[in-house]
Amino acid sequence: MTMSYNSEFYIGFLAVFLIVYFLMPRPRLRLFVILAGNMLFYKFAGGLNPMSVIFATAILVWLITMKMGRGYEECEKQAADLDRKAKNALINEAKKKNRKWLALGLVLILGFLIYIKVGRVLHFDEVGHIRDIRFTAMLVPVGLSYYTFSAVGYLADVYWRKAKAEKDPVKVLTALTFFPIIIEGPILHYDDLMKQFDEMPGFSYERLSFGAQRIFWGLFKKIVVSDRLAAYTTTVFGNLGEFFGIEVLLAVIANVLVIYTDFSGCMDIVIGSAECMGIELPENFRQPFFAKGAAEFWRRWHITLGAWFKDYVYMPLAMNPRFMKWTGSIRKKAGARASRIVSSAVPLMIVWILTGLWHGTGINYLLWGIYWGILIVAETAFAPELKKIPEKLGVNTESFGYQFLQMARTFIYFAVGRMFTADGSKGSIIHILRQMVGEHRLWTLFDGSLYEHGLDRKDFYVALAGICVIWIVDILSTRMKIREELAEQPLVFRWLVYYALVIAVLIFGLYGPQFVASDFAYGVF
Amino acid sequence: MREKLLALLREEYPDIDFEESDELVDDGILDSLTVVGVISAISDEFNVEIPYEEIIPENFNSIDAMAELIEKYQ
Repeated sequence: MTMSYNSEFYIGFLAVFLIVYFLMPRPRLRLFVILAGNMLFYKFAGGLNPMSVIFATAILVWLITMKMGRGYEECEKQAADLDRKAKNALINEAKKKNRKWLALGLVLILGFLIYIKVGRVLHFDEVGHIRDIRFTAMLVPVGLSYYTFSAVGYLADVYWRKAKAEKDPVKVLTALTFFPIIIEGPILHYDDLMKQFDEMPGFSYERLSFGAQRIFWGLFKKIVVSDRLAAYTTTVFGNLGEFFGIEVLLAVIANVLVIYTDFSGCMDIVIGSAECMGIELPENFRQPFFAKGAAEFWRRWHITLGAWFKDYVYMPLAMNPRFMKWTGSIRKKAGARASRIVSSAVPLMIVWILTGLWHGTGINYLLWGIYWGILIVAETAFAPELKKIPEKLGVNTESFGYQFLQMARTFIYFAVGRMFTADGSKGSIIHILRQMVGEHRLWTLFDGSLYEHGLDRKDFYVALAGICVIWIVDILSTRMKIREELAEQPLVFRWLVYYALVIAVLIFGLYGPQFVASDFAYGVF
Repeated sequence: MREKLLALLREEYPDIDFEESDELVDDGILDSLTVVGVISAISDEFNVEIPYEEIIPENFNSIDAMAELIEKYQ
C-alpha cells in the first residue's frame, strides 16, 4: 500500500485523522495527534526507517536554533541599557559566535542532501533499513529536498534574527514531519507553521467544507486532467522514435498541462488538507500562465521555491559586502547601468544553476537551469530596450491581443524548458526537435490514428473540457474569492456545483486496472 | 538625510516615484532587484554597511524608513 495524496487511501487516512483531531479538546493535544498522524503517514509513504533521518534533522535543527537563540537572548539582556552603537557591536559579536553554529547545521543538513544527489548520479543503492546503510548504500527519506530547504531557511532566519528559536522540541519535530507538506512542499517558514500550532482551532463546518472543496478541486485536476493527458505524453516520450510532427508537438503542449495540473492539483490537496485542520499554508501557484514574462512566471509558479532562492541565495549573494564592493568598482569604471546588470546577473545565474540542480542532477537539468537563467537575466538587463519595442511599433500594450501574445510566449518558454527533460535522456530537446521536424503527420488529426496512443477520442475530449474548466476557474479566481462567492449563492445552485465537482471526480477520474493512479511528479525531487 | 537620499534615488531610478507610497515594497513598486540596487547606491553614497537581517520590506517601504535605516548604521 502506498500513500499518495491522490489515492483513496490518503482520503480515508485524512478522514480518520480529522475525526481524532477534532475530538481533542486542546491545541496541545491536537499537536500530538498531528505528530502521530505524521508518523503513520510516513510509515505508508516511505517507511519509518527513512523517517528517522528527518527526526535526526529535526533534533539537530532544534539544538542549533536553541543555541543561537540563547546567544542573542543573553546579548539583548546585556545590551538593554547601552546606546545604539554599543548595542550593534554586541549583536555583531553574538552573530559571529552563532555563525559557527549556523555553518555546522548547514554543512550537516545540506551535506546530506548533496551526498544523496551525488549518490544518485553515481547510482548508489537506495536501501530501506538503517542497518543496510553503507557509503554506497543510502537511506533516502521521501521529501528530502523540501524539508531540507525549509530547515535551512529556519536556521538562517534564526541566525539573522528574523525568526525566534522555538524552545519546544515537539513543535519542531511536528513541523519538520508535517504530513501534508512532507512529500511536495510547499517549502515554508517553519516559524509561521509553529506559531499556528499554538492556536489550532476546533471543528468548524466552514473550514472543513472549504478544505474539502479544495481537495476535490485538486483531485479533479490530477485524476481527471493530468493522469489522462499523461497517458498520451508518456506513450509519445517513451517511444519518441515512432512519433513525428504534430504528434510530438501535441505531446509537448500536453506535457505543460500535465505538470501544471499535476503539481498545482497536488498543492490544492495539500493546502486543503491543512485548511481542514485550521492551518494556513502558503500558496504555491497563482495562475502562472497568465504571467507576461519569464521572471513573473516564476513569481507565480512554484512560488515558495522561488521565494526560498530569493531569500537565501539571491539576496545574500547580491548583498554580500565584497560583491557589493566589486559592483561598486564597476559602477565607477563602466557606469551605473553596467554595475546594475552585473549585480543582478551574477547572483541570478547562480540561483538558476542551483534551481536546475535542485530539480535533478543530470546535465539536462543543468542546461534547463541555464536556459531559465539566461531568459530572466536578458529580460531584466534589457528591460529598457524591450520596453521601447512596442512603443516604436505603435502597439498598444494595454490591448488584449498584446497581452495574450505575452502569455502565449510564457507558455512557449515553459514548454521549451520542459523539452530539456521530457524524454529522460541527456539529449532530450534535440531528439524532440528532430522528431518534430521529421514529418508533419497532420493527417493523424483527422483519420483517428491520434487516438490510438494511450488516450482515445472520448478521453481527449474529457481532458480538453477539464482544461477549459480549469482555465475559467483560473480567470475567475483573479477577480474573486471563488469559494466565498459560492457560499453566498442559493443552496440549490451551490450544491449543484459541489455535486458536479464530486461526480466529475468519481466518474471521470481515472481508476482501475487500465490506469495506474500515478504518483505526483514533483515528489521525486 | 531624507532629502539627500531622495535626490540620490531620483538620480538612480528616474522612473520610480519614491514618494508615491508608504508601502513601496508591499505595493510591488520596488522588487528585489531594485532593492539590491538601492542598497548598493546607499552603501556607496553614505558609506554604511547594512546587515542582511535589515533587508525586510518594512525598512524599504518608504523614504523615511530607508533614511532611518541609514542613520541607524552610520
